[in-house]
Amino acid sequence: MPGEARSVAYLYILPAALIYALFVFIPFIHSIYLSFFKGNGVTRMEFVGIDNYIDIVTNPVLRSAFVHAFELIVFYSLIPIAIGLFLASVLHRSRIRGVAFYRTALFLPYVIAPTAIAVIWRWILAPRGPLNSFLEAVGLGALAQPWLGDFTWALPSVGMVGTWVMFGLVLALLLAGVQKIPLELYEAARLDGAGPWMEFRAVTLPGLRYEIVVALVLTVTAALRNFDIIYVMTSGGPGNATVVPSYLVYQQAFKVAQIGAAAAMGTVLIAVIVAANLLIARAGRRDA
Amino acid sequence: MSQRVTFDGVSVTYPGMTSPAVSNLDLEVAEGEFLVLVGPSGCGKSTGLRAVAGLEPVSSGRILIGDRDVTGVAAKDRDIAMVFQNYALYPHMTVAENMGFALKIAKTPKAEMTRRVEEAARLLDLHDYLDRRPKALSGGQRQRVAMGRAIVREPAVFLMDEPLSNLDAKLRVQTRTQIATLQRRLGTTTIYVTHDQVEAMTMGDRVAVLRDGVLQQVATPDELYQSPVNAFVAQFIGSPSMNLVEVPIVDGGVDLGECRVSVTRDILSLAGSPRVLLGVRPEDLRIDDGGALMRVQLVEALGADTYVYGTITTPDGDVTMVVRTTPATRPSIGDVVGVRPERFYVFSAEGEQRRLG
Amino acid sequence: MISRRDTIVGYLVLSLAALISLGPLLGVVILSLGEPGKVGIRIDIAKATNFGNYADVWEKGDFGAAIQTSAIITIVVVVLSVALSIPAGYAFALMNFPGRTAIFALLVLGILMPLESMIVPLYLDMRRFNLDNNYWSVILPQIGFSVAFGAFWMRAFFVQSARSLMEAAWIDGANTWRTLTKVLLPLARPQMLTLAVLFFVWNWNDFLLPLVMLSGSDLQTAPMALVNFEGARRTDFAYLGAASLITIAPVIIVFMLLQRSFTRGILAGSIKE
Repeated sequence: MPGEARSVAYLYILPAALIYALFVFIPFIHSIYLSFFKGNGVTRMEFVGIDNYIDIVTNPVLRSAFVHAFELIVFYSLIPIAIGLFLASVLHRSRIRGVAFYRTALFLPYVIAPTAIAVIWRWILAPRGPLNSFLEAVGLGALAQPWLGDFTWALPSVGMVGTWVMFGLVLALLLAGVQKIPLELYEAARLDGAGPWMEFRAVTLPGLRYEIVVALVLTVTAALRNFDIIYVMTSGGPGNATVVPSYLVYQQAFKVAQIGAAAAMGTVLIAVIVAANLLIARAGRRDA
Repeated sequence: MSQRVTFDGVSVTYPGMTSPAVSNLDLEVAEGEFLVLVGPSGCGKSTGLRAVAGLEPVSSGRILIGDRDVTGVAAKDRDIAMVFQNYALYPHMTVAENMGFALKIAKTPKAEMTRRVEEAARLLDLHDYLDRRPKALSGGQRQRVAMGRAIVREPAVFLMDEPLSNLDAKLRVQTRTQIATLQRRLGTTTIYVTHDQVEAMTMGDRVAVLRDGVLQQVATPDELYQSPVNAFVAQFIGSPSMNLVEVPIVDGGVDLGECRVSVTRDILSLAGSPRVLLGVRPEDLRIDDGGALMRVQLVEALGADTYVYGTITTPDGDVTMVVRTTPATRPSIGDVVGVRPERFYVFSAEGEQRRLG
Repeated sequence: MISRRDTIVGYLVLSLAALISLGPLLGVVILSLGEPGKVGIRIDIAKATNFGNYADVWEKGDFGAAIQTSAIITIVVVVLSVALSIPAGYAFALMNFPGRTAIFALLVLGILMPLESMIVPLYLDMRRFNLDNNYWSVILPQIGFSVAFGAFWMRAFFVQSARSLMEAAWIDGANTWRTLTKVLLPLARPQMLTLAVLFFVWNWNDFLLPLVMLSGSDLQTAPMALVNFEGARRTDFAYLGAASLITIAPVIIVFMLLQRSFTRGILAGSIKE
């Protein structure tokens, strides 16, 4: 009968599970295994225990990769969500027709290839590119920087690109969510004497709990997995100002041929991603 | 062709539950009989039905269809057809395809398939809707398609799980008659589940009353009404419910308020305690000065019948009673009238509350 | 009660947001039509007439072959991933079998897993079996990642399929396969379409995997072609603009055509469709 334990189920999951196991999961386990070795993948590898992991903690460049990744979370995640929450609460009363057009526009940055986004923004942020030209045109020429070439500004610049990409997605998400909140709740709050801030805290925020969790998951994961943009825009530079874990994995594996170190980096990366998502899920559940 | 169905000591316990949904059910449904399983929510009637269908595993006991032990046999091999409460029509298939689905799987030749579908459509007045999809049909029409799907199978047993509960009241009454007539015509053994005792009483050849998984009584509607085996059945059957009052045994009978009701000594001697339950149906109470004094709280004038709700003072406190009377003798709110039972039942006050007399 | 002011403010804010999102892209369009060789400063619209840039870029950057490679890879991945996700999701949702929870949990891990945490051994193994530098070295891992999400997604759909529908089919004599294909799947068209769109976008845009697997070969995907092109012409911004647009055009087309499906996927649960 339906629902009963059956062995035919294995047949149904077999093709998908097989490809997943062979080309994703087993390599993953293999990678963890490799992370305890040092070598270049061609000649014999040497067992070094957790040395690679210790390196990640002690080596300033490796460590900075994770620091940069967390900084990027601020740009990819916190800023767009803050802006999105603000705008969504401003717009909670609006019932817009033709919202599909706006949604398409807002989603577009998220949909187009990060490599293309990197190329485009390299142009915008070029020393004589549109951004600097615009600043000069409005008399703020003093603010013009060699954005991507500057040690201080490179990472925030990459961050701002991330904000641009994620902002539309988050806004669309929160907007859809806020339009689901019945207006009567706001009216009830108003009658109870709540001001705009209280309305936000008591009605908007709880009503958007699910959407905020989704936004967090998507943006935090994107921030942590960022490879394409770094590779194309800065190659981790200038110097090591914009290295991130995923870039270091690539560099260590395919440029410097330190397979073990690369594997360790990759393992720590997924651990961080999983931990972040678990935290988000837990926080989302706790705010009941 | 139609077969009888036998429940032989059937118990069904859901995993993780401590008490069984169906407990030791022994019941035989005769060939061609229309048997209704009735009882309050959670009494196990649906579970029992689904056990026959093969949708619930039986924890102990056997189910037989005809002479065949079908316990453990897959649903599709049991030769049964089921009508679901929410009809479960395939949304993207037409009415004709819905009805013919099972036949198609069984590789029935096309000519035979068409014949059966057409015939069922004719029986159920669905001929004009054969090409429509379920969402283009009304609730009543969908219900008929669900029936049609069962009919074309020409099964040994029909199983119906509250098929009328999603229809509005008027349609329900109409369809009730249609189902009963149809069943008589087709002669297929039918097990029908409902929580509505009116449906049970009007449709069933016999009615089985269940409570908390245990069969209370199975009998014809008349027998259930006249000779309920315990207080639960007595109260469940009949609307408004029978009045049940716990009364003290006194010399020669029981006391209902100030009114002494005589009860024979044989019956009284069966009681295990000094108190019993006195059951009187509203239609068996007469407004009579010699009766127990009842203060009238509410009068429901329903055309031919009038129901009077009031309270009688007993040593335990006030008890609400319902009396059926005619418009002519209708009292007013606040009046105090005397009510006397013309006919009554006595039940034990404890345990199963079996009928004593 | 929705006031007129609320609606106007709404339109204003949304228009501003849309402008911010689309602005750079519109700028690139204008840029791409400017005179090749000019450096950086935004070309004004009057001079944006060099449609020939696209032809030049197409040829010089070898985009024809790249788009074709991307198309082959992505379409194969999308078709196979959707096809494999469906029975897997079905089994996880509606069948009970030993190890179901564990296997599903491992599969879900794949959704969060970054390529970087397994790319190294994957590449080494591919090279060892001489599978690198060919379409399958990209296709198979992409399918692997896609079905992780796909099984999750389809499972969510099947889980909320009416149980009574399955029971009716079961009583009618349908086995698990027929129930899936004839009864449940016809209801899943929107979900399957969403999955296909998501897979298309994700896999077309994928950069690291093809970069690693196809570097030694003549094959390149569209994103790879773009990056290589950019590497050679760092300041030829008009050409770069055209190259970017060529690279993202297929995704934009698919997205515009099926944007309803895509938004439903991302906003699952939030949209009242």
